[in-house]
Amino acid sequence: MIKINIQKKLTSAKGEMLLNIDTSIEKGSLVTLYGKSGAGKTTILRTLGGLLKPDNGKIIVDNTTWYNSEQSINLKPQKRNVGFVFQDYALFPNMTVKENLEFALEKKQSPKIITELIELIELGELQNRKPETLSGGQKQRVALARALVKKPTILMLDEPLSALDYEIRFKLQQHILQVHNEYNLTTILISHDISEILRMSNQLIELDEGKIIREGKPSEVFNIKEYNAKFQFTGTIINIEKQGFIYILMVRIGKDIVKIVADETEGKQLLIGDNILISAKAFNPIINKIN
Amino acid sequence: MNTLKGTINSLTISGNLTLIGIKVGHINMSAIVIDTPKTAPYLTVENSISVIFKETEVILAKGNTDLISMRNKIKGVIEKIISEELLSKIIIKSSVGNITSIITTNAVKQLELKIGDEVTAMIKTNEIMLSE
Repeated sequence: MIKINIQKKLTSAKGEMLLNIDTSIEKGSLVTLYGKSGAGKTTILRTLGGLLKPDNGKIIVDNTTWYNSEQSINLKPQKRNVGFVFQDYALFPNMTVKENLEFALEKKQSPKIITELIELIELGELQNRKPETLSGGQKQRVALARALVKKPTILMLDEPLSALDYEIRFKLQQHILQVHNEYNLTTILISHDISEILRMSNQLIELDEGKIIREGKPSEVFNIKEYNAKFQFTGTIINIEKQGFIYILMVRIGKDIVKIVADETEGKQLLIGDNILISAKAFNPIINKIN
Repeated sequence: MNTLKGTINSLTISGNLTLIGIKVGHINMSAIVIDTPKTAPYLTVENSISVIFKETEVILAKGNTDLISMRNKIKGVIEKIISEELLSKIIIKSSVGNITSIITTNAVKQLELKIGDEVTAMIKTNEIMLSE
């Protein structure tokens, strides 16, 4: 269990803002921090990691105090055992993939973990290459592996997928879920992508101007009814046309555009730009192989 | 969409699929899903559940429907018909609540559907979605 109760005065573009967070995160959960930029998401990660000191409060991780302003406890970042992955990969350019991972090894740590991670995150063919020869998705896989070398208690991902295109993103999401389960991690993810959040996380914390405004299971926070449907996508409405008592919605789902017929009861509450969840039974689609 | 409240009264599991018997009022309905009680714990006998299906998936019949393969048949009386050029929306009053069906206006004409007619609304088992 991670208990976070922190206050910190921040200077944002809009002026002064008080970051005031009081929440707890279950061990082993995958939590998403969600909210507008400047809401305080990255600050929370940096504070947890010990890169930024709060003004007041406590951070307790599995009964160990990482920070307590009253008792003047403030563990150094290297004592906190967290793994970080940022949007920019921050790999050492002069080292190969494998050397980048080895650099993260702690003194006396067995290098066995490197081979294990190379296997798990499928870096075998890339291990002797330099970062500059890698694609964005490949670099991010290396950054993920590197964050895991120390076997962190908490893995923190600051929009690691936002610069990647959908297919690569999906693959990396699978890798994150895989390592999250395999290493029994508590993972904190910053994301803006609703389908990514629904697919990946079991707890959502929505922030606005330094405060938690909504918290809970993602489907509950987004007020999405859970259907048993297997054919489910989130998309954005790009056009709505009313035709008699039906509505024809044009929806962008990833890079595809689809048209959907909505009934009046569904259609009249929708506006262009709305994010929607589309659910259908999995028995209807007809499948054609693309060559 | 149409939403009816029901109770699960039977589960038949085969591989990844489960056929679910649902009691909605005094009517027996059935749904099939790519889930089992292991992957979806809500699949438990006696559990209350919402039965959901889209208006465009509701087929209407007049007269005897005994020899039709459809497993979900709800008898009712037409309460309202809104006809457009191609499609018509028909609201049927039944013992389990109102059911809306969208069918072609040609079908409405051919079946000579009018307010007060007794009809059977039918939905295929694989078109029924469930929600807790």
